[in-house]
Amino acid sequence: MIEVAALVAAPLFAGGLSLTVHRSALLHAINLMSMAILVTAEIMITRTMLKDGPFTALEQLVYLDALSTFILFIIGTVGLACSFYMRSYLDEQVARGVIAPTRLNLFFFLFHMFLLAMIVATIANSVGVQWVAIEATTLATTFLIAFWRRRESLEAGWKYLILCSVGISLALFGVVLLYYSSLHVLSDVGQALNVTQLLTVADRLNPHVLKLAFIFILVGYGTKVGLVPMHSWLPDAYTEAPAPVVAMLAGVLEVVSVYAILRMRVIVDHAVPFAFTGGLLALLGFASLVTAAFFILIQHNYKRLFAYSSIEHMGIAMIGFGVGGALGTFGGLFHLLNHAFAKSMAFFAAGNIHRRFHTVEIGQVQGVSTAQPWTAMALMISGLALSALPPFSSFASEVQVVTALASQGVPGMWFTSTEGMVTIALSDQFERLALTAVFLMSVALAFGGLIYRITGMVWGTPTEGVLRQETWSLGHLPVILLAGALVVFSVFLPPPIRQLLEQATTILVIQ
Amino acid sequence: MQILPYNGAQLVDLCSALLLLTCFAIVAQRRLSSCVDLFALQSAFLVVTAALVAYLTGNQHLYIAAALTAVIKVIIIPLVLKKVIDRLNVKRELVMYVNVPTGLLICGGLVMLAFFIAQPIIPFGFLLTRDSLAIALGIVLIGFFTMIARQKAVTQLVGFLVLENGLFLAATAATYGMPLIVELGVFFDVLIATLIAGIYTNRLQDAFDNVDTNRLTVLKE
Amino acid sequence: MLQAVILVVAQVMVLLAVSPFLVGLIRKVKARLQLRRGASVFQPYADLAKLFQKQPVISTTASWVFTATPYIVFASTLSAGLLVPTFISQTPMNFAGNIIALVYLLALGTFFLILAGLDAGSAFGGMGSSREAIVASLTEPAMILSIFAIALTNGSTSLSTIVQKTALLEGAVADPSPHLMALAALFIVALAETGRVPVDNPATHLELTMIHEAMVLEYSGRYLALLEWAAGLKLAVFLSLIANIFAPWGIATTPAPAAMMVGFLIYLVKIAVLAVVIGIIECMFAKLRLFRVTDLLGVAFILGLLGLLFFYILRS
Repeated sequence: MIEVAALVAAPLFAGGLSLTVHRSALLHAINLMSMAILVTAEIMITRTMLKDGPFTALEQLVYLDALSTFILFIIGTVGLACSFYMRSYLDEQVARGVIAPTRLNLFFFLFHMFLLAMIVATIANSVGVQWVAIEATTLATTFLIAFWRRRESLEAGWKYLILCSVGISLALFGVVLLYYSSLHVLSDVGQALNVTQLLTVADRLNPHVLKLAFIFILVGYGTKVGLVPMHSWLPDAYTEAPAPVVAMLAGVLEVVSVYAILRMRVIVDHAVPFAFTGGLLALLGFASLVTAAFFILIQHNYKRLFAYSSIEHMGIAMIGFGVGGALGTFGGLFHLLNHAFAKSMAFFAAGNIHRRFHTVEIGQVQGVSTAQPWTAMALMISGLALSALPPFSSFASEVQVVTALASQGVPGMWFTSTEGMVTIALSDQFERLALTAVFLMSVALAFGGLIYRITGMVWGTPTEGVLRQETWSLGHLPVILLAGALVVFSVFLPPPIRQLLEQATTILVIQ
Repeated sequence: MQILPYNGAQLVDLCSALLLLTCFAIVAQRRLSSCVDLFALQSAFLVVTAALVAYLTGNQHLYIAAALTAVIKVIIIPLVLKKVIDRLNVKRELVMYVNVPTGLLICGGLVMLAFFIAQPIIPFGFLLTRDSLAIALGIVLIGFFTMIARQKAVTQLVGFLVLENGLFLAATAATYGMPLIVELGVFFDVLIATLIAGIYTNRLQDAFDNVDTNRLTVLKE
Repeated sequence: MLQAVILVVAQVMVLLAVSPFLVGLIRKVKARLQLRRGASVFQPYADLAKLFQKQPVISTTASWVFTATPYIVFASTLSAGLLVPTFISQTPMNFAGNIIALVYLLALGTFFLILAGLDAGSAFGGMGSSREAIVASLTEPAMILSIFAIALTNGSTSLSTIVQKTALLEGAVADPSPHLMALAALFIVALAETGRVPVDNPATHLELTMIHEAMVLEYSGRYLALLEWAAGLKLAVFLSLIANIFAPWGIATTPAPAAMMVGFLIYLVKIAVLAVVIGIIECMFAKLRLFRVTDLLGVAFILGLLGLLFFYILRS
């Protein structure tokens, strides 16, 4: 299983090597090399996976199925895009003296560790190891978020560290509870946290304990996803972190955290009626969607704008998973992919604008189309994709989610609870209608807010003293590719990706 | 002397109760360095609990966990925190968001809540460590509360560590420890998190001339 | 009957004899820890003897409350002492009252002391009284809660039964957590009630801090001797209570002479150890500001509450 070992070894060696190197070109070369190895390994894994089905590797430590392979695909693609973008971004920051050249290798080291932790979280068979890796992502990224060492970035970093550590600790309690329930069924202590083992006995686990465990894990990993009400660190961190780091946070880390929740959910769904997890996911999804839509409307800082848009889209994906069924789940997964592409693009554009205009205030940025035509294009495309407008694949995934919502409604039926105290007897149909209306209204609000702000930034004349030209750089390549992918995926999903998505959907749907 | 299982359960129970007791002491304590001392004491009780469970159940890897706790949480982390406090030159916390008696009352309520939550799942546990799971959850909640109620970066950190102690107690009590690889990972994470937070506190001090986290209000809507 | 009378007499003698010794021991420990030689542990006996010979001076504004108080305080504390097992688990006055009576006998003494502090008409007395009232009103609930936790785990409010049961290892130790919480609470209560360091400092007469000393400031001669002795008795009562409820091992469970002798020796060791612990605490901690005393007593209250909580939850 050389490709699985390469997944872990590449970022590990690249990280170690980066610490010993000081030349910028060399650091970038190491980074691109490691990314190339990663992507190659991922392609090989995808092929094996699609040919032979799920498999374990490295003494049962690694488990790869369609779901984790799909997540690996997102990590690889966005990671590669970031690496290209970093080439132009970091060099400019060093040239401007924002980053001391001596600290560049630290940046790369942390970046590799961040990647490594996310990969381990994705491929780990044991839920416990997955927890360790997700906590490690927090540790690797705190310094990346506070990399500018300004007061604001330190504040954002501290908030991120504390909130996520606490959230993650609650998730550990959930993992302990899961282990507690599985120990009674599984005799092999060392394997009792492995997904492969848990899935075989999941229907015999104690439902009480599992419910409690799921709540803890949802709150814990939900903090890392940035679901409302555990989201307060997210806008701050996204504003302060360097652009490539934010692209990774928004594009990949959120996806990996969602993945951790979904893994747990599959196990819980075997023993507990689907309505329990579905209802909770949809609840958090709606909370995130509605809150984020409101904040998008009143935002005057473009990085925070995109941050809240992240919360909104994670909310939409959560609603998709919560509603469940083949359509909702497929839509949710597809939406994760689309959001990862669109959002990393948006933050690349935001990074470019910030470097040129030196402000994050929307009101002070005008005429990006004259000053930075390429960036303006990227900003427009990502804005439209994030608003889920037709030529982009995010439109397709959002339509899938909303169709599932309108046809199936949210499981668990909050309004017509039979056992609880809430007995407002509303018909099932009305509930579906009402929820769909709330969904569409929030999306419309977010659309209005986003497009209004972005057009305000793109058109007009730039303020005096802003350089009005943009030379081609390597950083534009990933933007073009991502934009192309977003358009192409809406009409044609490449067969391997489609297969991955379909198989992942069948893993997640338990009836 | 042969320890009967019945007496063993009492001893484990007693140790968990001592852990909870130190939690309350930490909540009531205003002096930063005493908070750190109390944390070290609590970790020491945790070591005793883990070793006791290891001895009573014969789970060898719990001894490793106990030894790691002793090294990391009783010695290294308190030393690091003491260093940080020395450098910060702040001795006590004059203002808290919640005054001490109210804080204690809230913590008492949290322990009740923990028992309430854990009640349905306690009967599935091992006889030896039944009550410890509820106590552990109580400690987790109190740690959580400490982080919210305190302003100093260092006390927030202590709250986080208390929370971690609660988690470790839960793992020891509910499942006689996690698989070794997970446990090692958790220790590693906690250690790194503390070091990072220590470095952060220094940088916060440099940037804000203060480690009151309520000064961290540059970022808002 | 005769046996009961003998027991009463013996208990009274023991308490009266031991209490000045405890006060002296604590002072000695403190002195040694502060690298002083300190007075002999028997110095308080000499102090009492001297005070009894002196003529008392009474303020002209004082009413009968002032002169009656020392006797009431002394008597109530001594009768409280008769409810607490010392060297034998059967208390002499077991028939007359239980753990709740104990709390209220002690409260009676405190009440009269507060009155007397006001009665003498000096500014310090009033200040001490108001402070004592704060402390007393905060210690009472904590003490009651912790005592309830103990009484519930043993299924009895009679101290004899509680100690007897624990000594014979029946039931009580089955749940150590309520006991532990109650012990911690009761220890804090004991420190507060006997005017020990984190709450009050018996060694100073500083107007900013003193509580107990302020109330008895106007007393002299035999009245002062009685109050000092009563304070010592209160200390002995609390230490006996803590020692015998939480560590009753070695106490005589039958009125056999040999068992009683052993019980007496072990009792002496136990309370001496506790006194040393108090001495160490007095050296290690600074006295709390008056407004911080509520924090400490809040801890005691919550611990008592938790003890009760543990009992109910572990039993259900």
